[in-house]
Amino acid sequence: MSFNPSLTARLRIGFVVLFALLLIVSLLGVGRLFQIRVHYENDITRYFQLELESERLRSAFILEQAAARPATAHQQPSQVELNQAAASFSDAASRARDLTDDDTVLVAKLNQLVASETAWRKKVAEPLIHEQVPPAPVERRLTSAVTNSGDALATDTRAARDTARDNARTDTRNTTILVAAGLGGALLAALILFSGLINSMRAPLGRLVEGARRLAGGDLRTRVEVGGPVEIATLGRAFNEMANSLERDARERDRIEQMKDDFVLTVSHELRTPVTVVKGFAEMLTAQRKSLNSRQFEAAEVIAESAGQLQKMINDLLDLARSDAGKLRIEAEPTPVRSLAQRIGRQMRPNFEGKAQSFTVSVEKDLPDIDADPGRIGQVLANLLTNANKYAPEGAQVRLAATKVGDEIEFAVSDNGPGLDGDQLEHVFDRFWRADSTETQSVGGTGLGLAIAKSLVELHGGRITANSSPGEGATFRFVLPIAKDGRPNREAPTRRTKAGAAG
Amino acid sequence: MTRLLVADDSETVLLMLQRRLEMEGYEVVTATDGVEALERLRELSPKEPDVILLDAMMPNKSGTEVLEEIRGKGSKIPVLMISAHLDAQEPERMRRLGANDIVPKPFEWEDLIGKIEELVTP
Repeated sequence: MSFNPSLTARLRIGFVVLFALLLIVSLLGVGRLFQIRVHYENDITRYFQLELESERLRSAFILEQAAARPATAHQQPSQVELNQAAASFSDAASRARDLTDDDTVLVAKLNQLVASETAWRKKVAEPLIHEQVPPAPVERRLTSAVTNSGDALATDTRAARDTARDNARTDTRNTTILVAAGLGGALLAALILFSGLINSMRAPLGRLVEGARRLAGGDLRTRVEVGGPVEIATLGRAFNEMANSLERDARERDRIEQMKDDFVLTVSHELRTPVTVVKGFAEMLTAQRKSLNSRQFEAAEVIAESAGQLQKMINDLLDLARSDAGKLRIEAEPTPVRSLAQRIGRQMRPNFEGKAQSFTVSVEKDLPDIDADPGRIGQVLANLLTNANKYAPEGAQVRLAATKVGDEIEFAVSDNGPGLDGDQLEHVFDRFWRADSTETQSVGGTGLGLAIAKSLVELHGGRITANSSPGEGATFRFVLPIAKDGRPNREAPTRRTKAGAAG
Repeated sequence: MTRLLVADDSETVLLMLQRRLEMEGYEVVTATDGVEALERLRELSPKEPDVILLDAMMPNKSGTEVLEEIRGKGSKIPVLMISAHLDAQEPERMRRLGANDIVPKPFEWEDLIGKIEELVTP
């Protein structure tokens, strides 16, 4: 790009060029029209004067005739009067000559008139003065030659005047057309210039808008082609610098996130081995009740229980770390809803009985299979039921229901416990969040259950929501897609029922 | 008496498994990696363990490699893999290699015992 003036320079050049063109065209046009007008007026004046002179020539000739051949019989032809009339004829002829402006036709006509007058004076007037009457045919011929020449000069002068007027009209019209064409041309040039200017901005600006949209959409590799006027090109470069810096930051952030995820993943994984050992040995001790005294047994029980909690917490953390790292995978398969709900129900029932809570499981008849990882959805249900069990008071009612809603299956876990207010509902799926921080001691648990439940449900392509108002209990609902060949399942015994019975 | 060969690279886990399985009434032979597990198998022959428990990830020779090797030799001893299960495709791959069952790590004791029982009494 050798010549790339800035936007302001382009605008300035455009305005100057347009202004200059309009000025030149206008001045030339007006000047030319003025010139035509002046020329025309001069011509018209001249031809009027010439006509006047030809009238004078005619009257001078009449005086000459009167001097040579007086109208009344008692008057004598007068040499003096003839000379005077001839002098005024000659004066008029010389003024007329000046007025012909070298028009060949008019000059010829004037010469003819002067020549015929000279011939008439010589052949008719002079002999009459000297009382020699010329032959009548000669006198008639020469007299009518002068008269005819005078008429011809007058006629031609009028014709010349008409021609001058026609020429002036034609010139005026042509000049007007030329000026109009010139102005039109100048405007057209301006239009081309400005549309060129707009076009030179449009493409790079369009690219910038498109780039900004893509960048806002999260595509951090977006760069724009730098081009157009200097200002736009500068904007393009600034945009690319911004995108570079955003991408660099994002990459750095990703790297740190990755490090954090890897760290949590590794730590959780490494923690599991010793916890497994502690739990295993503690459980072994509690199984040997007979060989322990009551305090030793109590200690072994507490160790086993704590190790169990620790193991659960580490598993939850590991699940979340995997989820963050995109490594949490599910193995979805057509899963019967009833047997899944009943298995988790059986597993959880002792907890509800322990707090004298009533617990019901209701599954709609003939539900189609869900497309889900039974272990993971069991984990979600267990997490929701554990929360209901923990937060609802003794004697409360807890219900697990599964129904078909549209083309999805909805699971709902509801209780008639203390419920949650709006602010609490907003954070209920956050990590390590608790309805009340003072409950940490009394309720226990990791505060990760609902966060994991959300991750797992979303991984299945489902949605989870919480509904509650203080004092009216809480309901957690999640929906899951129906399996592709999800015919209503008659709940034939599956291989999983054994595991359920053992749980 | 039912004999189990148990291989795990963590000595404390191995000891815990050994003691608890002994409590359940099994005879337990232990190995701390894949190479040692194969060595123990040779030492035991011609008598074979009733079930082999293999940790999937071990130094020197992994449980998966041991599984491949003994199935490659045509042995039909039931194998129970213990897997940390970091990869969703892992159980499927292990079953293809000839594992009879898989216990995810960390395991619930009842789950582990249940699966061993299933393999001992087909």
